[in-house]
Amino acid sequence: MARSWRSFFKRNTDEEQANGPVVASEPEPTTEDVEGNGHLSTDLEAVADKAAEAVPTAEEVQAERKEPAPADVWEADEIEPGEAEVSLPEPSAVEEVQDAESVAERQESEGWFGKLRQGLGRSRDSFVGQLNAAVAEFRDVEDEEFWERVEEILIASDVGVPTTAKLVGELEQEALESSITSGAELRELMIERATSMLEGPVELDVSHEPTVILMVGVNGTGKTTTIGKLSRFLPGTAMFAAGDTFRAAAIEQLQQWGERTGTPVVARERGADAAAVAHEAIHAARREGTDVLLIDTAGRLHTKVNLMAELDKVRRVVERQLPGAPHEVLMTVDATTGQNGLRQAQMFKEVAGLTGIILTKLDGTAKGGIALAIANEVGVPIKLISVGEKVEDLHPFDAREFAEALFGDL
Amino acid sequence: MFDTLGERLNKALDGVRGSGNLTEEQVKKVTREIRLALLEADVNYGVVKEFVASVRERATGAEVSKALSPGQQVVKIVDEELANLMGSTAHKLSFASRPPTVVMLAGLNGHGKTTAAGKLALFVRKLGKNPYLVACDTYRPAAIEQLQQIGRELSVPVYTEGTGPKPEEIAERGIREARDGGYDFVIIDTAGRQVVDMEMMEEIRRVRNASKPHSVLLVLDVVTGQNAVEVAQAFQEYADFDGMVLTKLDGDARGGVALSVVSVTGRPIKFASEGEKMGEFDYFYPDRMAGRILGMGDVLTLIEKAEQQMDRTEAEAQGKKLMSGKFTFEDFLQQMQMIKKMGPLSGLLGMVPGLGKQLKDVEIDDRQLARVEAMITSMTIKERRNPKLLQNPSRARRIARGSGATQQDVQKLVKQFKEMQKMMAQMGKGGGIPRIPGLSGRR
Repeated sequence: MARSWRSFFKRNTDEEQANGPVVASEPEPTTEDVEGNGHLSTDLEAVADKAAEAVPTAEEVQAERKEPAPADVWEADEIEPGEAEVSLPEPSAVEEVQDAESVAERQESEGWFGKLRQGLGRSRDSFVGQLNAAVAEFRDVEDEEFWERVEEILIASDVGVPTTAKLVGELEQEALESSITSGAELRELMIERATSMLEGPVELDVSHEPTVILMVGVNGTGKTTTIGKLSRFLPGTAMFAAGDTFRAAAIEQLQQWGERTGTPVVARERGADAAAVAHEAIHAARREGTDVLLIDTAGRLHTKVNLMAELDKVRRVVERQLPGAPHEVLMTVDATTGQNGLRQAQMFKEVAGLTGIILTKLDGTAKGGIALAIANEVGVPIKLISVGEKVEDLHPFDAREFAEALFGDL
Repeated sequence: MFDTLGERLNKALDGVRGSGNLTEEQVKKVTREIRLALLEADVNYGVVKEFVASVRERATGAEVSKALSPGQQVVKIVDEELANLMGSTAHKLSFASRPPTVVMLAGLNGHGKTTAAGKLALFVRKLGKNPYLVACDTYRPAAIEQLQQIGRELSVPVYTEGTGPKPEEIAERGIREARDGGYDFVIIDTAGRQVVDMEMMEEIRRVRNASKPHSVLLVLDVVTGQNAVEVAQAFQEYADFDGMVLTKLDGDARGGVALSVVSVTGRPIKFASEGEKMGEFDYFYPDRMAGRILGMGDVLTLIEKAEQQMDRTEAEAQGKKLMSGKFTFEDFLQQMQMIKKMGPLSGLLGMVPGLGKQLKDVEIDDRQLARVEAMITSMTIKERRNPKLLQNPSRARRIARGSGATQQDVQKLVKQFKEMQKMMAQMGKGGGIPRIPGLSGRR
């Protein structure tokens, strides 16, 4: 019943493989790009130096955040003599890592739908109770009070006024036209309407070599955690880039996820230029033949002009180094978020070119109705949801099931 | 995206002028607008219903004041009702008579507890206290390291026992350590938790019982939507908090959550956490929040100030002139001097409904205003009344010399002034709110 992880990833087609990877060589350097003529260097220090030169300084960002200026050195414990600059996990940790397919299977057998419903929790009971009562009382489509209650219910789940008005308007219209008389029919119609509002291209494109996924969002929405979880489901090998160089212990948090999931992590010291980290990580991912590179970024409020400019810089540096990348730009949105989520999504879409939303923390009392508003008003599809703290609580988004969970089993 | 409440009310009450009472029909229109504004600001649905009912009661039959437009009048009622609900003064910290004072932080994941812990430590140190942090988040990867790094930055000691022991035990021993070390303010950071996770909610109750804090603060992200009410109620049940910290206030969320949680829990918001810098933390001033929720700025403050400083008839005459496009540099100067009496420009403009949003990312420099003033005072009376004369370069050069500006500055001012005249004239015909030229802010 749940959407399978297997169909979630858009992988390489045979044709693409025959033609080789999308990018065969380093792109033409530009004034802002790596100096020199761009062939792969094996000299670690040279790579590091180039990477440092490759991106503009982080001054404007530092000005906003007043952090110590970055030093152009590798983090000491990241380089062992004769080793790559990525921190490789302990062998024992790698063994513990479960194969993504088996994780996926186990969770599918448990049923994430049940978990989601359980997650939507006790508040959902009252919510569904209200809707149940409303539907039970439903007599005819011209009953104003009935529609007001449906509106109320949607607004109480953070769907917001404009999207609620649109949805209820459509429902009312359709209920009239198809002369719906029973609550059950109406429920089905509600779910259908919400589903079609939520439906979008849900697949995650991992067909590139390497595929670069950029994780963005405001503070505390679960970027780092989601990267850790997502890596367990990705086909092929993964690598993390610790692009949150600002928040205290953000790098350590990602490194712990690296150990936990057996994923190498490219990191620099705190306060380093995030774009430089991304640049180095792409270089490392290509050298190591990594399939998917997940780049973490610092949480930022969409209203901070300098921080949004920094994000734009990260994206541009990635794009310049690997044309076509980042292949996915995913934004985490906390399910407890109210209407401000719309502005968040709008701004991140403008600056970072979002390809999808990840709705996190659906295990609380929040119903995540903001997802409906974002899909409707901003037009970015929801790709993943997280219904708990465990790795297997991350799921590909299924519009129909989300709508069902939202409206409950009337 | 959203109209401010002030604008909405003015629209709803368009045409209602002068004295008399608000009619039932007008009140209905008005309460509908208030309801929508509150919902868009994420105020909980149930809270909105109650709130609107009380506003309706007061607005019905309310006498329309001569000094205020009917819209402003209703805004005033709304504001007073908000103040009733949220209180009007800040809640200052109180300290235990037998130190250390123990404060425990609790909340959902990602709402900013650990950052708030660091900020609170710095805040109390500025009040002369000697803070001590205790790391009880044994779940999230690197949460302890995060608190340690913050502690190092602030030179505040951090008590940790790693992720092994139970949080309630860590808390107890941490407080003991603090007491023995002579620290008089202990801040206990706890793990983020979801309120449906009963195990975790029982845990926070145990941490509370073990640490016997003098104060428990619920840390709440200002973007939180409708379910803030359920979250707050659950934390009230399990952690029995006595106040809240509202975080990430530097974003542009309306923050209706503040109204929701205060109204259902009866607990005040005590602290406002603004940004990512450790110093951006202060007592919470509820009156500031009321304006933000409704996007009406401190419109009342503006109204009051304006009433004090400006004769209303004169203001109306000015306004008419403004809209007619016959506005001169002389009028401009007069207005600027009036504005100056009312306080710093950036603050003032933020109070104007509709401008707050446009000016959000614009930094207004009062010095710029001073430069403009210098240029105008360097003009002859004739020039002030007839800005066309200033197209003559030698006049512009003279004014530049007289005011310490460049000739380009003068030309720019004249150009902007013309644009403003045009815009004002348009507005007089019913256009929108214009940008304010001559104050070209930086992005």
